[in-house]
Amino acid sequence: MTEASTISTEAEDFLPVAQSTGMSLAEPRDYFALMKPRVMSLVVFTAWAGLVCAPGVMPIWKAIASIICIAAGAGASGALNMWYDADIDAQMSRTKKRPIPQGKMSPTAALTFGIMISAASVWTLSIAANWLAASLLAFTIFFYLVIYTMWLKRTTPQNIVIGGAAGAFPPMIGYAAVTGSVTLDSIILFLIIFMWTPPHFWALALYKTGDYGRVGIPMMPNVAGAKSTRFQIFVYALILFGVCMVPLFTGLGGAFYAVAAIGLNAGFLALSFKVWKSRAGEREEASDEASLYEVQKGDRAARNLFAYSIIYLFAIFGVLAAEGLMKGFAS
Amino acid sequence: MKEYRDKPKNFVEPNAAELKARGRRNIGIAVALAAFMIFVFVTMVTRGSA
Repeated sequence: MTEASTISTEAEDFLPVAQSTGMSLAEPRDYFALMKPRVMSLVVFTAWAGLVCAPGVMPIWKAIASIICIAAGAGASGALNMWYDADIDAQMSRTKKRPIPQGKMSPTAALTFGIMISAASVWTLSIAANWLAASLLAFTIFFYLVIYTMWLKRTTPQNIVIGGAAGAFPPMIGYAAVTGSVTLDSIILFLIIFMWTPPHFWALALYKTGDYGRVGIPMMPNVAGAKSTRFQIFVYALILFGVCMVPLFTGLGGAFYAVAAIGLNAGFLALSFKVWKSRAGEREEASDEASLYEVQKGDRAARNLFAYSIIYLFAIFGVLAAEGLMKGFAS
Repeated sequence: MKEYRDKPKNFVEPNAAELKARGRRNIGIAVALAAFMIFVFVTMVTRGSA
């Protein structure tokens, strides 16, 4: 054994045996995967919706630059999350193919990448938009890494309820980039995602209890049980319905939004009711499927709600953005 | 005067996969830095003129 190879580092624990020199095998696409592109696409869309819903006009270059910065900030949060969670990611079927558990890059490389992109995105947003938007972005990255990933995720079943705030900030940042302020309307945009997060994640957790249980993450189904979680999903769906009606009273949503919001929320409520009345999450054998959408019999209601919740969020914000654009053209 | 040259010890030749990944990373870093420079330049210039 060589002297070099006897030096034990944190990075070496993750290096695959196929490597000869210990050089990283990470390619640009692995760094892209580190930024959680699926989450980033939702962030980009909701940030854009917040930007379009805001009163006032923003030059196109400024809008594009702001969205790029928000997307980069969200991606940096994802990288920092993967750095911290590398130990449990390797044990979960849903996350074991991420770059660090696969041994393509060291946790230190992910940490460095995350810090650099965080700093660059916040600083550039302050130039492109304003300091309030940049401060909100910095707070979002801090909240996701420190409050959610480091603190709440491994300690309480309310982890994604409180931690969901991190995912709810992007439309507020987009709004602040235009107006330079936080208003009731931007808080409503925040609340829609905040109330959407628990039913969205718990629906997934209901049919992935094996995964979370294996690594000791106290998700609601693992701690409070499937029955309680299914009921809480329905309660949050009711609250979400109420929150989605508020834009009708503040002027943020118009007639088009009213019809769409009632329809979309009725669908969300119906699927949540089906989950509540189902036996989702009660099977004896834990699911080990790698796919987000493959489920065992009995868990289909939860899978359907999870899939619908993604379409739902795109649709709600899409309608709000469409109305915002129409208002812009009318004025 | 005799030139001193130390012979490399324990040197391991990188394999093809490692070299390929390094090459791609170098290109990725170069492209990303160039894009970032242009992005900041355009942002600052247009901010001044807006």
